[in-house]
Amino acid sequence: MVEGTISTWSMLIMLLPLLGAVLAGALGPTVLKGRSHWPVLLGVGGALVGAVVIFGQVRDAHDEHQMVVPLYDWISTGAGTWFSVSVLVDPLTSIMLLVVTGVSLLVVIYARGYMRDHNEPVRGYERFFAYIGLFVFSMCALVLGGNFLLLYLGWEAVGLCSYLLIGFYYDKPAAAAAAKKAFLVNRIGDFGFGLGILLIYLTFNSLDYQTVFAMVEMGFDAAGDKVSTGRFTAIALLLFCGAVGKSAQFPLYVWLPDAMEGPSPVSALIHAATMVTAGVYMVVRCGAIFAASPTAMAVVACVGAFTAFFAATMALVQTDMKRILAYSTVSQLGYMFLGLGVFAAEAAVFHLYTHAFFKALLFLGAGSVMHAMGGKIDFREFGGLRRIMPWTYATMLIGSLALAGFPLLAGFWSKDEIIHAAFAQDWLLGTVGLVTALMTSFYTFRMVFRAFHGVTRVPEGVHAHESGGWMLVPLVVLAIGAIFAGYAGVTMHPGGFVGLFEPHGWFHHFLEPVVEPFKVNGVGHVAAGHVGEGSGWVVAHLSHYGLMYASSALALIGIGIAYVLCVDSPMLAAVIRRAFPRTHEVLYNKYYVDEACIRWIVEPLKRAGRFCVGVDNFVIDGIVWFVTAVPRGLGWGLRGLQQGALQGYAASMVVGLALLLVIVLFGTWT
Amino acid sequence: MTLTEMLMPVAPELTLLIGVCAVFLLGVSKRPAVRSAIAPLTLVILLGSLVATAMCSDLDASGLVGLAFDELTGYVRWITLAMGVLLLLVNWRVPTDGEQGEYFGLMLCSIAGVLLTASANDLVVLFFAIELVSVPTYVMVALSRTDQRASEAALKYFFLGALSAAVMVYGFSFLYGLAGTTTMMASGGDSLQATFAEVGAINAFAVVGLLLAMAGLSFKVAVVPFHAYAPDVYEGAASPLTGLLGFLPKLAGFVALIRLLTVCHWALPDSLMWMMWIMAVATMIFGNVLALLQTNVKRILAYSSISHSGYMMIGLLVGPVLGEGPMHDGVAAVLFYIVIYGLMNLGAFAVLSGLNVRGEAAETLDDLAGLSRRAPMMAIAMAVCAFSLMGFPPTAGFLGKVYIFSSAFSLSDAHPFHGPLVTLAVIGVINSAIGAVYYLRIAGYCFLREPGDGLKRVGGVMPGLGLAVCSLAMIVLFIRPTDLVNRAKSATASVGSSVVTRVAVAGAETPPSDTRPQ
Repeated sequence: MVEGTISTWSMLIMLLPLLGAVLAGALGPTVLKGRSHWPVLLGVGGALVGAVVIFGQVRDAHDEHQMVVPLYDWISTGAGTWFSVSVLVDPLTSIMLLVVTGVSLLVVIYARGYMRDHNEPVRGYERFFAYIGLFVFSMCALVLGGNFLLLYLGWEAVGLCSYLLIGFYYDKPAAAAAAKKAFLVNRIGDFGFGLGILLIYLTFNSLDYQTVFAMVEMGFDAAGDKVSTGRFTAIALLLFCGAVGKSAQFPLYVWLPDAMEGPSPVSALIHAATMVTAGVYMVVRCGAIFAASPTAMAVVACVGAFTAFFAATMALVQTDMKRILAYSTVSQLGYMFLGLGVFAAEAAVFHLYTHAFFKALLFLGAGSVMHAMGGKIDFREFGGLRRIMPWTYATMLIGSLALAGFPLLAGFWSKDEIIHAAFAQDWLLGTVGLVTALMTSFYTFRMVFRAFHGVTRVPEGVHAHESGGWMLVPLVVLAIGAIFAGYAGVTMHPGGFVGLFEPHGWFHHFLEPVVEPFKVNGVGHVAAGHVGEGSGWVVAHLSHYGLMYASSALALIGIGIAYVLCVDSPMLAAVIRRAFPRTHEVLYNKYYVDEACIRWIVEPLKRAGRFCVGVDNFVIDGIVWFVTAVPRGLGWGLRGLQQGALQGYAASMVVGLALLLVIVLFGTWT
Repeated sequence: MTLTEMLMPVAPELTLLIGVCAVFLLGVSKRPAVRSAIAPLTLVILLGSLVATAMCSDLDASGLVGLAFDELTGYVRWITLAMGVLLLLVNWRVPTDGEQGEYFGLMLCSIAGVLLTASANDLVVLFFAIELVSVPTYVMVALSRTDQRASEAALKYFFLGALSAAVMVYGFSFLYGLAGTTTMMASGGDSLQATFAEVGAINAFAVVGLLLAMAGLSFKVAVVPFHAYAPDVYEGAASPLTGLLGFLPKLAGFVALIRLLTVCHWALPDSLMWMMWIMAVATMIFGNVLALLQTNVKRILAYSSISHSGYMMIGLLVGPVLGEGPMHDGVAAVLFYIVIYGLMNLGAFAVLSGLNVRGEAAETLDDLAGLSRRAPMMAIAMAVCAFSLMGFPPTAGFLGKVYIFSSAFSLSDAHPFHGPLVTLAVIGVINSAIGAVYYLRIAGYCFLREPGDGLKRVGGVMPGLGLAVCSLAMIVLFIRPTDLVNRAKSATASVGSSVVTRVAVAGAETPPSDTRPQ
């Protein structure tokens, strides 16, 4: 890695999208108007070039896998010490950059077509692209930052962009409420995250990744004392709070389904492919801290597994395409955390990478449907669209197969690896993963069959049409990715899966230096006897290939059930629904979590808030009035000196001077 | 030594003065086209002076009597000329047609005065330099508006300025009487600095001389009890000019104070230290509490200007520290802060000057009501400047205050004034909290009130550009303050050399005599 190249390009990666955002925001309303996408498009394109250059640098590096480049010192913290603005570049960073800038570019291209009604830019067109540019800047700063301060900055900045973009249609009450909900729920997680960073600073007296992780690996704090496992657990769990909020894990997942009120390109970019994976990135980055605490790892694994299962059940009965995809995103993020929790960080990152392709594709496809249906996205109102929208159908079919874990597509390889790692740790976690995989393929294909198959129906007064080139090109590119992206993590191996493949490839070698902390401590962890009972049996009897055949079968079974219930005999579905009315009700209403939140959390808080307002108005304001009465009274008194007459001013100066003379001469010679 | 070689170090000042002549001459032209070219010409002159500053790296003053050049000179030249460009942009349309020559010529004079103040090494030159800053501003106040209030303000400003100049030069005469020379510093031979090293500062002549000189300079920086002119003058002058009044005289005053304190080795007698301490406290409190009562934004900003002088006095009292980071250096903090202050103050006044309410320039809080609906960019710029004045992140004003206050907090316990200075910083922090009230009120009026009638955006491209630079600089300098901070720190290298002596005089065991000029 060449330091100059890294620093130049990492600056460009951050600044080009920012510049694009500023140009779109400043010139958009007056000069650019309908062309406001150009500065952001070019800026994000430039960032993608930068990401490719940095990726090349990292790939060709032989001995050093990590490079920290200080860009400049920000603020002095005392004699000779500074908080510096630095970037850290390693395989993880380069992959995240490629994913972020690549998906962003495609989404910007797509949004050029999507954010228009009848070829006219929608209101706020330039605002949309300015926010997107700002988001790409923030996300790149998050993954490039070389210390916790920049991580936190990027973390909050992407949260802000997410808030702004969910509430893009701010005159729609649902959108405004969803934006507020996302912001508030994220605040809860971020509060813990901030505390975690403070605890890191208190423990290690530094926020630089390299310094902190070096000390973590030795196990000593800044004062040279041994750091207790409890302290590591505390730091890891506080940091994980942030990840739970940002990556929508149980119990803070509630904001993500509502976030679908934002424009579809935003859902694809921020709420599927990039921002929500920031939590996964953070845990991998802080792997040294997490792996030092078995408790924290167990919590990560359990939260991940439970979220994967829980979210998938809710997706089973939804009828809003974007909501199904949102729950599916929560569920897939759960898989990633499950992977992290069972020390398979490379599998988690691999899933993050493949997921970015097919989930962005599915959201963009859903957006294409929504565009054609005049803003409707509930598949009870339309159906059989495959004849009207062949391209959208074909690409979404590929994306759905990938999500469902259909053999040989992107999602299959990565998901399977996580499930395998989960079985190696504990049979229960693995089983949850398998059951969730079955549900995934069912709900995905329920959506596909209901929306695209059967009799063609469109809402009244809607001129259904296939989307234009700006929207279809990104779909096709992502579809290609959804098919082939998985092969970055697969090698040819005679006698392997279907006689050809070995699920461990270049991707894993590339990531090896990053996930090392998981391996060192992970092996020790397994050796320490925490292995769940029964996992030995699975590993022994169901080899990795066997597991792959099993999960392929489950994917096909899921698709088959969906076909039977949605296409072949819809009556059967109604019968099942009537047989279990309560279950359907509970699932359809998402376990009444929102209602419970409002009843048990929001309302009491509102009451407390009203009480606080009362206290504030009478008690606090009274005190404040009383306190400020002193300066105000002083002001009234002093005002007499400021009468405006020249003689008065001159006199006050001379008298003041005389007073000073008296003070000083008196003070000096007495 | 040829004449060219001799004059090379003052090339920036010479560029300005030649430019002044040209601008004055063109100003009397009868042809409107020529007159309208004056503002661009002034810009060219300022840029030329910047180029000259960049080129004259060889700062050998041996051929020039009464001048000396060091790192501080270079720093002040850069910031003054750079700010000068912004001041010009914001003032682009202030003078009425036919008066451009006088107005911009006088502005260049004032800027040249600041440059000379930074290179003065003789009390007489220092006095002339400071008056070169002030006298043009008196006239500019009168020229800036065709309004009775402007004439009144100019008259007050002139008389009070003359009074303060008399006090200052009276103090200089005492210092001359003490030393027998007006040279401030010299590596050999007679100089004030050498005299102070011999007799110490506890000498009746020295104390009275320093007190009077500092009192005169306190007028320039608007420190209580020499502040009374500020609100009236700020209110009377046109808004863009007020941005200039808040920067050039203040900068000149602080640079001259730094020079004077360097001359006496930063070793003021306790009584003078206490005097400055009291003045700083009074300045902060007076400025803030009176600002609370104002409804006129220009008067609010005038009182805020007084209180900011109080904050900067803290850094001055802490003095320079050798060898540490910029966090510990009071003088570096002042030099950093004054740039920030100049920018945010100019930005706030530029917003006012860019707005018109029913044909009148915007002045009161009510005039700003609902600005965010009428002119969102202006409202954002105003909010950025107000937050920066308040000292709130993510603006540079926050870093400026952090550096000022932390310079006091990081003093060692051995410092004789450790306790009082920490108290002073605490008073400063409390005062910036009080200040938040009226800065927030400005921002609140812009965003939370319903717009009134007749609010209109006026001005043109150039003032708008100046405003944009000011408010963007607040953000950019927060994100990347390092370059400016390090320059400010290295600018104190020449004034800090006597700081060891200060501790020595104040009671340390070993006076390191090598730092004193022999």
